[in-house]
Amino acid sequence: MVQGTLEKLAKIRRGELSAIENVSSSLELIKKLDRKINSFIEINPNALMEAEAVDRKIKKGESVGKLAGLTIGIKSNINVAGLRTTCASRTLQDYISPYDAEVVKRIRAEDGIIIGMTNMDEFACGSSGESSAFGPTDNPAAPGHIPGGSSSGSAAAIAAGLCDICLGSDTGGSIRNPASHCGIVGLKPTYGLVPRQGLIDLGMSLDQIGPLSADVSGTVVMLETIAGRSDNECIMLNVDKLNCSEKIQDCDLKGLRVGVSKKFSELTDPRIMDVIDREIEKLHDLGAEIVAVDLPNLELGLSAYYLIVSVEFFSGTRKFDGRKYGKKIEDVCGEEVLRRILRGRYISQKEYRGKFYQRALQVRTLIKRELMAAFEKVDVIAGPTVPKLPHRIGTKLTPMEMYAYDYLTVPANLAGICAGVIKAGEINGIPVGLQLQGRVLGEAEVLRVMKALEATE
Amino acid sequence: MDGREEEIRRGAEEIIASFVKATEKIPALTETYYSLEAYNVVRPDGEPSPEEERATFRSRFISLMPKADEMGNLKVEVARWSKER
Repeated sequence: MVQGTLEKLAKIRRGELSAIENVSSSLELIKKLDRKINSFIEINPNALMEAEAVDRKIKKGESVGKLAGLTIGIKSNINVAGLRTTCASRTLQDYISPYDAEVVKRIRAEDGIIIGMTNMDEFACGSSGESSAFGPTDNPAAPGHIPGGSSSGSAAAIAAGLCDICLGSDTGGSIRNPASHCGIVGLKPTYGLVPRQGLIDLGMSLDQIGPLSADVSGTVVMLETIAGRSDNECIMLNVDKLNCSEKIQDCDLKGLRVGVSKKFSELTDPRIMDVIDREIEKLHDLGAEIVAVDLPNLELGLSAYYLIVSVEFFSGTRKFDGRKYGKKIEDVCGEEVLRRILRGRYISQKEYRGKFYQRALQVRTLIKRELMAAFEKVDVIAGPTVPKLPHRIGTKLTPMEMYAYDYLTVPANLAGICAGVIKAGEINGIPVGLQLQGRVLGEAEVLRVMKALEATE
Repeated sequence: MDGREEEIRRGAEEIIASFVKATEKIPALTETYYSLEAYNVVRPDGEPSPEEERATFRSRFISLMPKADEMGNLKVEVARWSKER
């Protein structure tokens, strides 16, 4: 049986497993398995030294942090001092970060050991994990298939057991999509709950950093570490600390209202819906009341999202001009990155801004209103994460076919709400994830439902 | 514009066109720029800066500037490429 995150943490604290042993085991597994999976771009050369420092603290009887000795993978768009923050792009292939992102500082303060930088779609522009300049990532849960993206390396590393917890970023589903395809747990926190300082952004009004892990406890402990107001950031919720652990212990879901929408089945492969429907039945068996909710314009979110994200990405990438560091982005980037830059430039032109960009922001208002109306009737909304099964690596898809993976995940980003994913089942050995969307700061409710489902396994 | 860029540009325009078509029947609404209305004020005490500080902001900013021209404007490094032109 796979060891849970909390059990491993307890063993490290009791001295039954040293941090050095845990880090060494991760490094050995990476060496043995990652040549094929390609989930890491860079390994932290100081990981063992940092683990030794944690072990010293434990031996001396000093207090240690809540991540003591756990191995943490960081997506390559989050700055870690001394490691290359490449965004999986030739643009930044030699960029060694001079500072730690706020979330990385918080992980270090809780004695987590950064094991390395994970692979991803170039500049987070992708849903398959294939567009990295460092090569595609394989899906350890369904070899030969895409792991999903853009946090492809983070999800694959967890699915293969190469590290304990990873950080990803989610702009339109980049944590939830790979968590679903790889059969692991992932959470996109409420927008503004986790500081983005030190994240190289894809879309500044949509991005959120969040955890991926093998079990719900791993996601909870990481979320509690990274969440909360930072004085280095102006667009944040005024939340000091988050404490979910105590609120998620109750596996009885009596009184909880779970929303389901017929829109999900209109957009999703029926085989996936069968798996999801069975999981929703489980929620009913656990005491939850299942309530139908109306999300009539859900599918409009996708095209509005791609317009907004292109404009924000175009703006955010103007700093990659190759003058001070890195290379000029347009000179070396891949096709999807260039597509978004060109689209963003086109929409940003004065004569088109009102016609397209502001119209997309109006659709955002519409999606947000519909979700908020649904949350007047229910506590969480349950449904599929991704409308189709992952394709085989290397299959040629049109941009629209690729974007279609994001139909069910972008609404949460547009509305700024939280959403988590947990494995619901498999189709021919390929994992399928259940998505649970919650209100603004509704993480505890979402995680409680995930924990209750986990306990039924 | 080379062939690759032209092809990508055409693809980008197709997506925009499909968006316009899909939203034809949606009424005009207010725009949502950020999904949250409540933002954290950067100051650690959560209060706005005092009136006096705001009034003297420009002079304090200028006093901190690494370089200024004779008009008191911030002078930044001139990019290499602009000298070449």
